[in-house]
Amino acid sequence: MGHYSTGIIIILVLAALTVVEFYVALATHSAVFLLLIAALKAILVIWFFMHVKRLWSAEGGH
Amino acid sequence: MAVATKSLHGAVAAHDDHAGHEDYATRLRLNRLGMWLFFISEAFLFGALLATRFYLWGDTRPELDQMVGLIVTSVLLLSSASMYVADTAAEHGQWRVFSVAAWTTMILGLVFFLGVVIFEWGLFPQIYEGHLTPWGDKYGAVVFAMTGMHALHVLSGIVLIFIMWRLARKKHFTPEKHWGIEAAAIYWHYVDLVWIFFYPALYLIGTAHH
Amino acid sequence: MSVRLTSLALVRGLIGYFVGFAAGMLLVMAARLMLGMEAWEQEAVYVGGIVLAILSFLLASGAMTDWLKWTRGIATPMRHGPPPGQPSWARYFGIDYNHKVIGIQYGVTALLLLMVGGTLALIFRVELAEPSLSFMSLDSYNVVFSLHGWVALASILLGVGAMANYLVPLMIGAEDMAFPRLNAFAYWINVPAALTLMLAIFVGGWDSGWTAYPPLSLRGAVGYQFMFWAIFGIGLSSILGSLNLIATILLMRPKGMALFRMPIFCWAVLATSLIQLTATQFIGIDFLMMSFERSLGMPFFNPIMVEGVNMGGQPLLHQHLFWFYSHPAVYVFVLPGLGIISELLPVFARKPLFGYRWIALSSLAIALVGFLVWGHHMFTSGYGEYLRVAFMISTLLVAVPTGVKFFSWLGTLWGGRLTFPTPMLFTLGAISVFLIGGLSGPVLATVTTDLYLHDTYFVVGHFHATIFGGFVFPFFAAIYYWYPKITGRMYNETLGKWHFWIMTPAFWVMSIGQMSVGVLGMRRHIADYDPALQIATGQLWVTIAGFFIAFSVLLMIYNLFSSAEIGALAGNNPWRSRSPEWQIPSPAPEHSYASPIRVVGEPYDYGLAGSQYIAMAGAGDD
Repeated sequence: MGHYSTGIIIILVLAALTVVEFYVALATHSAVFLLLIAALKAILVIWFFMHVKRLWSAEGGH
Repeated sequence: MAVATKSLHGAVAAHDDHAGHEDYATRLRLNRLGMWLFFISEAFLFGALLATRFYLWGDTRPELDQMVGLIVTSVLLLSSASMYVADTAAEHGQWRVFSVAAWTTMILGLVFFLGVVIFEWGLFPQIYEGHLTPWGDKYGAVVFAMTGMHALHVLSGIVLIFIMWRLARKKHFTPEKHWGIEAAAIYWHYVDLVWIFFYPALYLIGTAHH
Repeated sequence: MSVRLTSLALVRGLIGYFVGFAAGMLLVMAARLMLGMEAWEQEAVYVGGIVLAILSFLLASGAMTDWLKWTRGIATPMRHGPPPGQPSWARYFGIDYNHKVIGIQYGVTALLLLMVGGTLALIFRVELAEPSLSFMSLDSYNVVFSLHGWVALASILLGVGAMANYLVPLMIGAEDMAFPRLNAFAYWINVPAALTLMLAIFVGGWDSGWTAYPPLSLRGAVGYQFMFWAIFGIGLSSILGSLNLIATILLMRPKGMALFRMPIFCWAVLATSLIQLTATQFIGIDFLMMSFERSLGMPFFNPIMVEGVNMGGQPLLHQHLFWFYSHPAVYVFVLPGLGIISELLPVFARKPLFGYRWIALSSLAIALVGFLVWGHHMFTSGYGEYLRVAFMISTLLVAVPTGVKFFSWLGTLWGGRLTFPTPMLFTLGAISVFLIGGLSGPVLATVTTDLYLHDTYFVVGHFHATIFGGFVFPFFAAIYYWYPKITGRMYNETLGKWHFWIMTPAFWVMSIGQMSVGVLGMRRHIADYDPALQIATGQLWVTIAGFFIAFSVLLMIYNLFSSAEIGALAGNNPWRSRSPEWQIPSPAPEHSYASPIRVVGEPYDYGLAGSQYIAMAGAGDD
């Protein structure tokens, strides 16, 4: 499981944020918090799942 | 030097170079940049749909089944996890894990798609009675436009993963050279990324219109 | 050598197009019958035809063959040179991956479309030459000027593609573009798209002008569907082409070519491509929504009032989405042309380009500010009044980086040892015409004056001056300038000068004429006018000037064709340019650079003793 641990942690965080999102929406109608949470989730996906860093990292491999 | 190309954004250089100074690493950098430029472009497509949603709906939203929204969102999130496993497995040459994870992703993707078609669109009223139609009002029109454009990307993602799974079975990729799988993976995560914004925009933001 | 017609991608594609069109229509009709509807409903049936036609063209022409093979794990080696067993011209009608061939394909298609668009303009200009309707109906006038708009804009987009595709890899010493197959695909999708655009005229065309404002565009003839999908195709070409150019510029430069040591044209292309990559999606989805509203009744733009509440769409939504692309698109049209001006002036002034960094950054600045100005097209639309001032200020800001360019051009010319061959004449002509367009811009960007001038012929005059100054004149300059690089021969200088001296004064007359009839009350998009406005003379002048311009362009076309056969051999570097593409043989060989180049100095140090821009390993430097 060693290779996959980062991914699993991130998925758990994303799931937790989705639940938070759902309850925030029940509490407030403001879009601001919801969009902030969405942006946070997006950053996690871009950084850990999509490996955006590989764009500018010099290494050739994966 | 005419290096034969092996596969989609292949396992080796996608075009030969008479001067011979294009190696796999160079091609990989170009492919990655190309893919991300495509994502940036697509962000404006989905951004335009979001702008349409906020322009037409303002701080209202349609009355949608919250359970359905939560379930399809979770399914897509799970598929992102299995895609991550598939990508990482390919990186370490664990091809059996890759195969299982790729199929898990495809099936979850299909479940998401069916969820949209059956429950959000209500295309099969014998299973689930939807109340939105694309031509009914601005709510139906925008819901169908947003979920439709997203579903199109889900479907193309499934096709892409299937192609890569088949190529992997033919021993096309190695842990060092598997750009095709990486491309399918980051495309899939991108589709998930779009839903991260679409889910609150469709289901959570604003007050439900009765 | 004889050529089997079906071996040409163009011919196969066209056959595929019409077969696909019929199949698509039948498919939709069959589906409608199965769903228990009446078979014929023109909107849905034609859309099915168009979509399948464009797809079939691409499949039949072979533009996607390599990719489809990749999905099955089949290797597709890169092809070089003309197809085996065929004459060299055949590759221009085929799927060729060489960026120089693709550049020429773009260029020739652009000139063809330019001539079609220009001819359409002459037709309705004859109608406007005198008051009252003479030979056109109100409807045919609307359809013809609308077609003129999009055909001409398509020709500009392809002309931009021509310059960028041919020049950028050459200028940065790259073997080819980053994605050669994508490059070919991006060109070829233009062909079925442009065909679809022009076929619209057989089903009633569209009558709203190029802007397609609803509700008119939701109610007019089915030709609108042709236009929506044609522009979607051309937009897709823009997106894929610009993606390719950005990747090429960012990652394929040679050793030593820092971004600020690129030929300045590459900066212009980079800025243009950033707009095309992103903003184009807005018009794409906008026109798709329009198409779906027409065929499925999805209310995005048409309001539906239910008990005093709008449950439908908003017509203004289209204006926002449309102009978010279509204003920056104007910078797509002009930035490469302005880059050509900056590229050519130092060569013909034998002086360094004045303020290289400022020019480079001004292109980026125009592109970025361009995203914030779309609302100045909507001052009279009835949107929130507070938006007017914001959009006025952001629009006026554009004048700053544009002014930077003008001062740099003047600074480059100042004290130069000027020579005036045809490309230089067109460069100077471009500056003069762009000045007319530029100075009339702030008048329209200012709310108070725009409220009077909106939708008048003044706008037409302003727009044509910017586009001719920013695109057409520089494009012609580029054609003459790189003609020896493309053909190895020199164009006929006398004919070139005739072209310039007919076209430029004629354009001045046309431009001033259009603006003045506009100020005097001539509406845009209207077939007729009241003689009491006293603009008949002005209108006549505009029409006559238009014919002069058309005639001069024909001179150029003749020049290009005849000189390819009988022109004097030009030598490798007739302009004594420092740019990399002139350091290799003319015409440029199949593989442009025998060995990688290295940048060792500044690009525009003309006249500085001992300065060197590039070094070529092995080859004898001159």
